[in-house]
Amino acid sequence: MRFLGKAAGGLYLLLLYLFVAGPLLFVIATSFNPATSFPAPFEGLTLSWYAAILRRPEFLSAAGTSAVVAALAAALAVVVAFLAAYALSRNGSSSARGAMATLLASPLLVPQVVISLAILQLASAWGVGTGFWGLVAAHAVYVMPFALRLLLTGLARFDFAVEEASRSLGGGWLSTWREVTLPLLRPSIVAGFTFCFILSFVNLPLSLFLTSPDTATLPIVMFAYIESRIDPMIAAVASVIVLAAGTATILLDRFLHVRLVD
Amino acid sequence: MTGARGVQWLLLLPSLLLLALLLGLPLAAMLANSLQPNVLLSFTGPALDNYGYLLSRSYYLQVILRTLRMAAVTTLVTIPLGYIAAMLLRRLSGRAGNLAIMGLTFPILAGPLTVVLGWMALLANGGPFLGPLVAAGLIGPPNLLGSETGVVISLVQFVLPFAVLTLYTGLRQIQPQLHEAARSLGAGSLSGFLHVTLPLSLPSALSASIIVFSLAASSFISPHYLGGAGQLTLTTLVTQFIMATFNAELAAAAAGLLLLLMLAAVIGITAAIGRFIRP
Repeated sequence: MRFLGKAAGGLYLLLLYLFVAGPLLFVIATSFNPATSFPAPFEGLTLSWYAAILRRPEFLSAAGTSAVVAALAAALAVVVAFLAAYALSRNGSSSARGAMATLLASPLLVPQVVISLAILQLASAWGVGTGFWGLVAAHAVYVMPFALRLLLTGLARFDFAVEEASRSLGGGWLSTWREVTLPLLRPSIVAGFTFCFILSFVNLPLSLFLTSPDTATLPIVMFAYIESRIDPMIAAVASVIVLAAGTATILLDRFLHVRLVD
Repeated sequence: MTGARGVQWLLLLPSLLLLALLLGLPLAAMLANSLQPNVLLSFTGPALDNYGYLLSRSYYLQVILRTLRMAAVTTLVTIPLGYIAAMLLRRLSGRAGNLAIMGLTFPILAGPLTVVLGWMALLANGGPFLGPLVAAGLIGPPNLLGSETGVVISLVQFVLPFAVLTLYTGLRQIQPQLHEAARSLGAGSLSGFLHVTLPLSLPSALSASIIVFSLAASSFISPHYLGGAGQLTLTTLVTQFIMATFNAELAAAAAGLLLLLMLAAVIGITAAIGRFIRP
């Protein structure tokens, strides 16, 4: 009976993971299929769709734009979230901390399409174009709560007494932060940055109304490409993103022991 | 000490400014814009005519109802599925538990655009599972692409990791001693679950429900690719107003309705589940 229960539980989890990961695995499999239509029966194995990406400069330059936007948005989000998480962890009653953390998490409850639209309409109300910084703004405000959550988790394990120790040994406010606080919190900071970077890099809806041909991000270029046709090349682009995201997940876990859940 | 406290609150200033300038101000501009006349409707703004227009046409009411229905069905399917998974995952420890959590993080990081490509292939013509059955004439073509069911299937898959991770965190915080105490007092595993685990896990079930509903109602990629023009939701309607009919004011009003719907849902879900949470 106990064994049966365990087996049923295992089967349930297996099916659930298959359901969650299935579409991704199917995309990866399709990217190696030489057939020119999508979806199509499997005809063999080829890497030609990956080579085809290299012949499309718009994908490469869009990946560059996405990387710059993601890096700026993640950096802004992490700096701002670190200061907030530090203040909330160090001081304040737990109810005030909870209320403030909820307020700062509010961008998560605003649809990304609406964030994109709102920034577009603020810019047009002011009579200016949204430009590159409008794009960064939308991404930064959306990823900030994710950084905040990781940093609050990291700071919950941080012993503020080490700061007192540093100060009693004559360390100033700034040198304590530089020599003691920041190095100890490095894993959370790096994980927060990486996580925000990825979330911004793969995001389509935030950029929807904010890009021009010069500032098209990778998901926007994929979006435009899929509107006209679908072939395994787009599956190859997606597979590269999946591979990069998977590598980052493993590296974060292995070297920083940071996960989204504790 | 008050000086130190002042410094602490100063540290909160950048994040509050970020929220105010990059979220609050844009949303205010958008909502102000939703009260203005446009190419389709002439009135003297600010007035609620755009909202009145959207709420009085059965076509747009359908869109609103569809958004609500898809998000509600997704939540009702996902929370029980995710709860069972979180209960099972809670027993895993060490390496297996670690891998299981990473397996759930990974689709979130890969992003919905890559995932939806997979669904487009899997749902078309029955895909690899039902496709052969269709070809053999055993079942009719399922026609999931372009249907509400197809969108809901992909939404459940997209939000499930978020639900499991939230519920798992909540369940792990329940002290194992409580289960032992319940057992030593003669509670069976079912009554132990009903009287100990379930009540204590309700706060995380509440946050998981809010997260799942919000993600589903605000999802753009699944309804756009898998639902198409025949299954518009509020997010894809906003996009149509901007990209096809160039009506910024109606787009703003549709976005305002979406925010209102989500706010009402959060209040509704909190009231429904919150009743059972003991203070």
